[in-house]
Amino acid sequence: MAADNQANWAARRRIAAGWAHHLWHDKAGLFGLAIVVLLIVVAAAAPLLAPYDPAAQALRDRLLPPAWLAGGQLAHLLGTDQLGRDVLSRLIFGSRVSLVVGAGVVLLAGAFGTALGMLAGYCGGRVDDFVMRWVDTQVAFPGLLLALVILVVVGANVPSLIIVLSLNGWMVYARMARGSVLGLRQLPYVEAAQMIGCRGRRVIFRHILPNLTSPLLTLSILEFARIILAEAALSFLGMGVQPPGSSWGLDVAIGKDYMFRAWWLVTFPGAAIALTVLGVNLLASWLRVVTDPREREKQFARRMARKRHAEPVPAAAASVEARP
Amino acid sequence: MSRIARMALCALLWSGVTAAAGAQEITVGLGSEPTTLDPQAQEDGSERAVNDNIYETLMVRTADGSLAPGLAAAVPTAVDATTWLVKLRPGIKFHDGSAFNADTVAFSINRIINPKFKSAQLSFFNTIANASKVDDLTVKIITKGPDPLVPVRLYWMKMVPEAYAASDKFAAAPIGTGPYKFVAWNRGSNITIAANPDYWGAKPQIQKATYRFVPESGTLLAGLMAGELDLVPNLLPEFIGQVPKSAHIQSVLHPVLILNADGGITKDPRVRQALNYAIDKEALTKALFEGYGKIDQGQLLSSDDFGFDKTTTAYPYDPAKAKKLLAEAGAANGTLQIVGTSGRWLKDRETVEAVAAFWEQAGLHVDLKILEWNEYLKRLWDRQSRPDAIYVASKDPLLDPDRPFSTYYQAGGMGASNTDPKLAELVTKARTEINNEERAKLYRESIRIAHDQAYLAWLLTYEDLYGLSQRLTFSPRPDGKMLVSTMSVAK
Amino acid sequence: MGRYLLNRLWHGAIVIFGVTAIVFVVTRLVGDPVGVMLPIEATAEQRASFAHELGFDRPIIEQFGSFVADVAHLDFGDSLWQRRPAMDIVFEKLPATLELTLVGVGLAALLAVPLGIMAALRPGRLADQATVFMSLLGLSVPQFWLGLILVYIFAVRLHWLPTSGVGTPAHLVMPAITMALPALARLVMTVRSAMIEELNQQYVKVARAKGLPALRVVGAHALRNAAVPVLTMTGWEIIRALAGYSVVVETVFAWPGLGLTAVQAITRHDLFLLQAVVFTVAVMVVFTNVLLDAMYQMADPRMKMR
Repeated sequence: MAADNQANWAARRRIAAGWAHHLWHDKAGLFGLAIVVLLIVVAAAAPLLAPYDPAAQALRDRLLPPAWLAGGQLAHLLGTDQLGRDVLSRLIFGSRVSLVVGAGVVLLAGAFGTALGMLAGYCGGRVDDFVMRWVDTQVAFPGLLLALVILVVVGANVPSLIIVLSLNGWMVYARMARGSVLGLRQLPYVEAAQMIGCRGRRVIFRHILPNLTSPLLTLSILEFARIILAEAALSFLGMGVQPPGSSWGLDVAIGKDYMFRAWWLVTFPGAAIALTVLGVNLLASWLRVVTDPREREKQFARRMARKRHAEPVPAAAASVEARP
Repeated sequence: MSRIARMALCALLWSGVTAAAGAQEITVGLGSEPTTLDPQAQEDGSERAVNDNIYETLMVRTADGSLAPGLAAAVPTAVDATTWLVKLRPGIKFHDGSAFNADTVAFSINRIINPKFKSAQLSFFNTIANASKVDDLTVKIITKGPDPLVPVRLYWMKMVPEAYAASDKFAAAPIGTGPYKFVAWNRGSNITIAANPDYWGAKPQIQKATYRFVPESGTLLAGLMAGELDLVPNLLPEFIGQVPKSAHIQSVLHPVLILNADGGITKDPRVRQALNYAIDKEALTKALFEGYGKIDQGQLLSSDDFGFDKTTTAYPYDPAKAKKLLAEAGAANGTLQIVGTSGRWLKDRETVEAVAAFWEQAGLHVDLKILEWNEYLKRLWDRQSRPDAIYVASKDPLLDPDRPFSTYYQAGGMGASNTDPKLAELVTKARTEINNEERAKLYRESIRIAHDQAYLAWLLTYEDLYGLSQRLTFSPRPDGKMLVSTMSVAK
Repeated sequence: MGRYLLNRLWHGAIVIFGVTAIVFVVTRLVGDPVGVMLPIEATAEQRASFAHELGFDRPIIEQFGSFVADVAHLDFGDSLWQRRPAMDIVFEKLPATLELTLVGVGLAALLAVPLGIMAALRPGRLADQATVFMSLLGLSVPQFWLGLILVYIFAVRLHWLPTSGVGTPAHLVMPAITMALPALARLVMTVRSAMIEELNQQYVKVARAKGLPALRVVGAHALRNAAVPVLTMTGWEIIRALAGYSVVVETVFAWPGLGLTAVQAITRHDLFLLQAVVFTVAVMVVFTNVLLDAMYQMADPRMKMR
């Protein structure tokens, strides 16, 4: 048992080392990871990092430009908004909303969707029919439009945003989980496990779920990026986080009224959204490559091909090999 | 026509548009499309912006805000407490050629007060019982009770042609008596009006006006800066420096906080006074509205308004006194709830947030609630439990104290948070007092009571700002009407 | 095939009914529109009488009953504000939304195919990496932000294009680009991976080994097979736009379509108009879905029919 465990650990360490090695070579992925880590650190340590209380207003210091422009003050590095609040501090605290809404929706929708999808794939028959019908029905709903209406009714705040966006987004997980389970069920080892009498729950948790982790992880991260944008769009339309709360989307929405006087109010939170989503997307595309053995092989082959490029190899042959 | 030719033609037309319209044409930018062009149906600022030029009223406000006859030949006269006679100007025709006479006036009045018509403007007119023709140029108006405001109300009611109003085209292609005729309504895009050559009054200089609907305030401003628009109302004070030209005038809106005099921490009048002392109205006006506003002298009225009391002045900013009064009342460090809303009135949320900050400086803990509109209205109208302080912008398009005082001062009014019997009696009495001298006196007395008791926290009256293109001349009016006939363009 | 389509249509009908019922419930929860329609100073009696005339004081069950009866013959009632049939307004706004959606997504699809192929021909090379990075960037920029910045640069600073509104092809340029960018990003990625997949198929390798030039191989064989996923994704982009993302673009550019109408109906609590808009959007989404399925079936008969 102990030896078994040790071998397991060694294998994991090898995989981790492989990932790290790969990450080092994939500069874009590294950049993405850096941004995501930064986001988490900033959100977690917001009270320590932010120079001011994000809600503290100083009416006499309103609409100050960033420090490097004429009229800017070093005390307010990225300037102040229409109530004299520090833009940098609001940016730092705003990361919390993006993170909480993004993570909340991914967890809620992911858990619900995956569970239903696995159930459908594993049980098949009527259960499958019912769940997939439900998924198809909901996919055909005009999602954002209904979300707008519902948010007006229940009132826009962080919990209701999470719930509404989850209601809107669980279907992708269900489809993916079902598809994977259908594929896995026919694999010899799962059939074997079932045959030797493993109970359903054991089969699901020991044999199927681990195989779902990597596609699920990639999908979750992509969804996370999508949710950040959706939250920003809802806030822009005035149906997202409400003042006195703060989020990047809301800050753009409010700042847009002042766009011609104070470009920094729209630019910084907008850029923060774009940068975060970009980082998350880069991380997801790197993760997709490392967790997919086929993709990994391709990359390996490409590197080999490049190495061999110096040697006199027929061009056509090299390029065919480069695409295994 | 081939597609390329069509595109070329479109491009050509577009180049015509960018040349900022011809010499005597202007383009006005509105934040929303009029929901209808029936002038009696809705409470819709965009509808008014267009129809104020097409339709006319029996009474008008002059450029200085005083009441004068419009389609009426003279100020209506009260025959007895509930009967008014209105003489009409002769020889006026609607744009379709039909005559303007006592029949159309009686029809217009009876149309809007009929509950079945579901007019959203009814609350301005529901003291009127009915109207009837006396002779061709005389109309009799009967009110439900004594109502000194009949001439004022008539300034707000547009006169419509009887025969055409029944047509289903009426709400889409209006016909009035005004200096401009309706030309076209491209749904979703623009409305065009043109000068009426047969207008009975002075001929306007501007021949054509186009109204464009642009919901995003940033985009609206961009249009003004790019020279596509000549006039944009409801400009934010921050942009005065950005736009080519601007104009401003006192608004009819008075943002205030209603303080609960019947319970909670604000039950003690000293607390309510302290709250008034704690607000730096000067800083609020300067900082939030860039100086485009005047301090409300503690009366919910502007200095030019009927009933204004010169002896009452705003509570000065005195944080020390505020703290002292709070301590005396045993309310230092107390908690106070403020209810506000967002996006309804100019800088509503910012104003509430700023007030909350002032009250925190006075040592109170402020629990600030910014509610969605319907939730907010529920709190505003809840007669059972009043919030300690609730923000509202009192609006008085009739430019008369009756409406705001009945709503926010009089006990039982939709937004009032006091049960002062004396104040209620004064407001009720004023409502039926035909003698204007007496009426003004009653209002002045109510103002003094409300002020001493600090039933509200008065803030300011801000100014309505208009962004103008370089070539446009326009003096904003106290009634807020954007009358194209009073504008002119250079060149 | 016929039975399959019939099945899909039946399913679509269920979806539409579901959406309609949800919309009714949700819009009634929004609260009666009286608070938004009357001036705030109106008295309680005035409000009550107004609500009575509008029929909002009837029991909710009774309101739902007459609502369903009316919807059965496509009568959504009159818009509360505009006082004309809500469906008339919807049909008036529909062309603008369709124009923006089709031009935007069409533009994205047209650009995505050559870009995606270019990237796929040399995966991992500079052109590919640049394309992938730009696509990710395109996916990451919030649409409303992009729109605002375009307006600022091209309309306010440079005066090349009108800030907003409709009327000429020039008016369409910025809204269409804003609409197209995220779709373009996703489509480029789809084309690229579909093409890489196809280029790795045995038949392509054989064709190239026989010495056929790369472009011919791409044009004649690979592209045709890669068309299915690309078409599917294009359809999805249209659905995405219809299902709500046009709201954002229409708001920024004052584009008089259904999205803008929906937002205004929400803020004005124009319940009947809102119901009509959501119903129409749901019908269009369902219809596009069925169309997409049918196309899918025709393009790839191997697809297992459900």
